[in-house]
Amino acid sequence: MNYLTIKLACGAIATIGLYTMLYRENKVYRVFEHMFLGLASGYSVVAIWTDVLKSSWWDKMVGSATSTGEPATMGFWPYALLLPIGLMGYFVFSKKHNWVSRIPIGILIGLYSGQQFQAWLDQYGGQIVGTFKPVVPNNWTFFAPYVDPQNLQQVSDVKHTVYISTALSNLIFVFTVLSVVSYFIFSFEPKPGSRISRFWTGMASSGRWLLMIGFGALFGTTVMMRFALLIDRMYYVWVEFLYKAILHH
Amino acid sequence: MSKPTKEFNLGNLLQAFPRRGLFLLLFLAATLPLFTTVTLPNKPWDDSIDFYKNLVALQPGDKVLIGSDWTLGTRAESGGEFEALIRILIRRQVKFALYSTGDVQAPLVARDAIATIAKDEAANGQKLYKPFEDYVICGFFPNSEGETLAINNNVRGAFSGRKDYPENGPPQDVLQSPVFQGIRKISDFKYLVLVTPSNTERITFQRVKDTKLMFMVTGVMFVEDHNYYASGQLKGLIGGVKGVFDLETIMSKGYESIPPLPGKNEPGRGTKYYPALHACLGLLLLAVIAGNVGMWLSRKGVKS
Repeated sequence: MNYLTIKLACGAIATIGLYTMLYRENKVYRVFEHMFLGLASGYSVVAIWTDVLKSSWWDKMVGSATSTGEPATMGFWPYALLLPIGLMGYFVFSKKHNWVSRIPIGILIGLYSGQQFQAWLDQYGGQIVGTFKPVVPNNWTFFAPYVDPQNLQQVSDVKHTVYISTALSNLIFVFTVLSVVSYFIFSFEPKPGSRISRFWTGMASSGRWLLMIGFGALFGTTVMMRFALLIDRMYYVWVEFLYKAILHH
Repeated sequence: MSKPTKEFNLGNLLQAFPRRGLFLLLFLAATLPLFTTVTLPNKPWDDSIDFYKNLVALQPGDKVLIGSDWTLGTRAESGGEFEALIRILIRRQVKFALYSTGDVQAPLVARDAIATIAKDEAANGQKLYKPFEDYVICGFFPNSEGETLAINNNVRGAFSGRKDYPENGPPQDVLQSPVFQGIRKISDFKYLVLVTPSNTERITFQRVKDTKLMFMVTGVMFVEDHNYYASGQLKGLIGGVKGVFDLETIMSKGYESIPPLPGKNEPGRGTKYYPALHACLGLLLLAVIAGNVGMWLSRKGVKS
């Protein structure tokens, strides 16, 4: 039995061990669960030092020497100040001095908040612009004609023409955006019984329905993803391990 | 006092199907189609077509930055996406740098996957992709928000000090790699392709604006991320097993005027998993229908 087979066998046994939970709560499941947590934690601790702290902090702080002994990079000792700032975070466990932990937390929150203004615009700016869609056709053909994808001029012409079907599609899109947004406006209440009130209620109600449809689609994709995870595990156990590694197909 | 016995009828039977029996059926539905060679018909989504077209339009020697945040927990979707991506890049001879801000295990998982794919591609007549020379792994960065912003603002500064392993050599600074030759700012990379099952996709939207973005996400994330593709913020998007199947379909058979990808295209994870996914979804639909019919029959009081 070679190394690859042993590796695959360990994975297959762990997979089956974790799936025993489906029968009922049992010790085999607990063993593999704890093993997984231990491995993940152990690996993370080592990787954080080797991948992160050493290269990004320690090496830059102490500098490095070439094989001739000459310094290749100078040490940047102000980085040493980061250590006490980081350690202040652990004062969160002290009842008497937990105020100290607020200093690094405050620094982090300040840095994060500063970024968020620009981040929000970068994320949603494009989407807001994308909601401005033409809802009046400029060509009274219902569907866009088929064009040769190689003919870039034709492709571009079709892309920039609003056919009736395109306009309808855009109209549904714009209506969805407006109705969903109106569902979330709580600070304004029109006079009960008025026309505006009826219109508002209708829009908000449509928004709720459309949101439910959206959530349904999201739920469907969530289920699909969970199935994909199961299928992959089955592929691992039956095909990669049993069929290929053990039976040598 | 004796317990009141539940009246036996079809409605009760449909609603009381044993849970473990259902699990068994699910395991069978997820397993049996894996041993068949059925390939389902497919019409790729526009998101996937654009993703593929953008990648194959790259020229040999172009550089791409990859954010890889997946680990073995999402191998079904992200693993298939990553494999298709690397195969395309290798065949187009595009060099790439890889980093992770989502999971500390991700660089190791990516390193193993790239090595396996590179060997496989070399065995099929493609160039053998060598670490450090053709691709470089910059490692894990714990603060996703800060690091992603740093990559956008000063890509060389963000990766300085990181080391990777050339073949049979001691670790060297990643900036010495041929991948980083000519890279001064992030826009020198043709694309940033992010393979992620986590919220790093949102963080990347928010902070990277100086190069074009393409994402490979899970099925759950696809619905939301499609909005970014529709608004033009993303140049291409691959979502879940369907996205992988789209890529593999275009790679092996081509689509409309798009020719297949030159080289040996064997069925990948998307092609293998898609029939099983349909079997599982079929079972789910049956179970939902059976449960609802059972409830309706019980309420009507119809005896079996």
